Amino acid sequence: MVAPTDGALDRAATRTPRRRLAVWLRRVTRTGAVRTLGPFVPIVVLWWLAAELEVFPAAFFVGPDAVLTEFLDLMRKGVLPGYLSDSLTRLAYGIGFGLLIGLPMGFLVAMSAWARRLTWPLLLFFQAIADIAWLPIVIVWFGFSLTAVTFVIVYTIVFPLVLAVVSGVEQVPQELVRAARSLGAGRFRVFVEVIVPGALPAVAGGIRTGLGYGWRALIAAEIIVGTSGVGFMMFDARRVGDVSEVFLGMIVLGVLWYAMDALVLAPFERATVERWGMVRQVEAGR
Amino acid sequence: MTALEISGLAKEYVDSYSGDRVTAIGEVTFTVEEGEFVSILGPSGCGKTTVLNIIAGFVEQTAGTVKVGGRVVDGPGPDRGVVFQNHALFPWKTVLGNAAFGLRMKGIPAARRREIALEHLELVGLAGFENRYPHELSGGMRQRLGVARVLANEPAVMLMDEPFASIDAQTRRKLQEDLTRVFELRRPTVFFVTHDIDEAVFLSDRVVVLSRRPSRVREIVTVDLPRPRDWQGTTALPEFREIANHITALLSEGGDREGPELTAA
Amino acid sequence: MSVTLGRTAGPGPRGRTAPAGRGPRGRLASAFWFLLPFALLLVVWAVVVAATGTPMRIFPQVTDVGSAIADMWASGDLLRHLGASLRRVGVGALLAVATALPFGIALGASPKLAAFFTPLLRFSVSLAGIAWIPIATLWLGYSDQAVIFIVWNAMFFALTYNALLGVQQIPIELIRAARSMGTGRLRMFWEVLLPGALPSVVTGLRIGLGYGWRGLVAAEIIASSAGLGYALFLAQKSFDTDVVIASMAIIGVLWLLMDRLVLSPLERRTVERWGMKSVVS
Repeated sequence: MVAPTDGALDRAATRTPRRRLAVWLRRVTRTGAVRTLGPFVPIVVLWWLAAELEVFPAAFFVGPDAVLTEFLDLMRKGVLPGYLSDSLTRLAYGIGFGLLIGLPMGFLVAMSAWARRLTWPLLLFFQAIADIAWLPIVIVWFGFSLTAVTFVIVYTIVFPLVLAVVSGVEQVPQELVRAARSLGAGRFRVFVEVIVPGALPAVAGGIRTGLGYGWRALIAAEIIVGTSGVGFMMFDARRVGDVSEVFLGMIVLGVLWYAMDALVLAPFERATVERWGMVRQVEAGR
Repeated sequence: MTALEISGLAKEYVDSYSGDRVTAIGEVTFTVEEGEFVSILGPSGCGKTTVLNIIAGFVEQTAGTVKVGGRVVDGPGPDRGVVFQNHALFPWKTVLGNAAFGLRMKGIPAARRREIALEHLELVGLAGFENRYPHELSGGMRQRLGVARVLANEPAVMLMDEPFASIDAQTRRKLQEDLTRVFELRRPTVFFVTHDIDEAVFLSDRVVVLSRRPSRVREIVTVDLPRPRDWQGTTALPEFREIANHITALLSEGGDREGPELTAA
Repeated sequence: MSVTLGRTAGPGPRGRTAPAGRGPRGRLASAFWFLLPFALLLVVWAVVVAATGTPMRIFPQVTDVGSAIADMWASGDLLRHLGASLRRVGVGALLAVATALPFGIALGASPKLAAFFTPLLRFSVSLAGIAWIPIATLWLGYSDQAVIFIVWNAMFFALTYNALLGVQQIPIELIRAARSMGTGRLRMFWEVLLPGALPSVVTGLRIGLGYGWRGLVAAEIIASSAGLGYALFLAQKSFDTDVVIASMAIIGVLWLLMDRLVLSPLERRTVERWGMKSVVS
């Protein structure tokens, strides 16, 4: 046995089982995982109770245990991972192309007065045509295919993004542009050094909004175009009346988006805005 | 050597609301020699900031020429550095990054840039704050950074647009003294816009007094108070009061027309 | 106005070129500039289709779409679909406001409840609307109610969350001042909390309606037998591209009108008028 040092002597006095438990609990509850998931525990308990007590008919409502069983089952069969990867791949393609098209387009429109004049009303109008409304025509063109789904997602992301880029560029204070020019920056450098960083918080917000819409469009598209993916899974399950699979689908979706938003998008947005000490934007309702 | 030459400058524009033609500047002519500190004063709305904006190249004049170092001005440039009233610092760059911005535009290598920028930060009293961001600084400190940023670029003329107007009185006194100290050390050419008579007299070698709109130069007052200057000592001198009173008189007489004051100054 | 990199003609610090006046001439001018791009688009569309000889099956000509709209109007279909969609949005929105506002404000006022519900709310917002379509059709069948439920759902969570945040950002001094003047619970709600949270609520309304509208279209495509979404779906099945494009255009115009003429001004006016800042965007 190692001879205790001074510090250890003090701590030895506190090493009763009770104290140890308290210290350990405190440390665990401070971890991020517990802090995020903890608040959901009472809700899950309530949910379980509601299902057990058959507050709603069993055909319409199942408890967390049923959902969990379904989850494990589908995971084992490889069905869920398959659907998930399909959905996520489409989303990734959509995001990729969306950014590729939306960012340059946004900056182009923002920087040219007449491009803006010509396209702004059109942009507003096209954004107003709910992305999902494009599905029928896209199906006519591309059939019930992956291209159709990707098209809709790209469309959904591009418009909020372009609008956000333009408004972001617009709110860059003109004095900053003047300051840069009076310090010797040419037009190109002003763009890179002032406009882009200045617009960045708005652009981050636009990406977040666009992705929020894109995600929903994906689900709707999968339901309608229906070959694979989580959306399809939910709809198919509904068709056969498998409530637990529908619930599962919703939870998986919710968790995925919540995770993406809370772990990637919101911090990114906050970091860009806060780091520059500009007006803070609290996230919500997306 | 004449650093800045303004001749027959005039500016008219069309009011967006009423559609009338408004004359912001009637006819302004003056020169600024190298190493001089010249202020421009006038009643509100007389167009003094417009004069600065034209010199800086942000706004185009309707008539007249602006020559810097003998060459006609065409658009903004590093030869005319501007210190803005709202400091216009880049919020996403550190204090050092802001100070070194103009140097980077010139293509000066990183190590040398850092050296020059730090030197100027120390000059204005911001040593030790290189890695902070503008939003962490107080109003007075931000203006110091604004000055450092311009000076580091070694412009032919340093244009200052009421830089201390939105600062509290105590800090303002300190900043005015610091500006004078920096000026007396480095002797840049300065063109300073203000509406504060005492400030103008304290800081300047000469004061251009504008009339009411349509503005013309009423008089160019020479301020030959001894340098180095400090607030307590210099303002106590009887000559200071004389000059200040003279300018006050100039501003209150003439231009009895009570026109509507538009926001463009 | 876009950023000006060079010199400007105007006088002041912002120096705008061609500023739009506020008088009647100005408004006419801005209306013209707003409609011009559409006119150009129509022209380009007509020319391209004519020049490339694209069959109507792939992309209809402008005139085809025009006549489709005229037919829909004449047969009463347009009004029927429009009516169904608008009714559902209206009912859903009303229900959402009636349920979300009291709930959200109550949550905002009680830190304990807020702490309990906020994670669930945030989670639900990410699901709002479309993800509920399968379960909604399971519970309510392919019906009008299902569509209304989706609209309500899409709006409820966003509105609640925004109301909650709105109340939370009311300066504590206001609430303390009211309390020290003896304001009871009900009055507190109507006179302090609701107005204080209003900018956020209005923003939430706008976001929620955005989701609700999209949810409506999706739900109608999937789950109903009347409404614009359904018209779209039906037309697609029979490859009536002219009706498809016509319906899309109508959807676009409707939302544009709703957003630009009602929601944005409402948002701007509440926020500006009371000099407050909206919590969310």
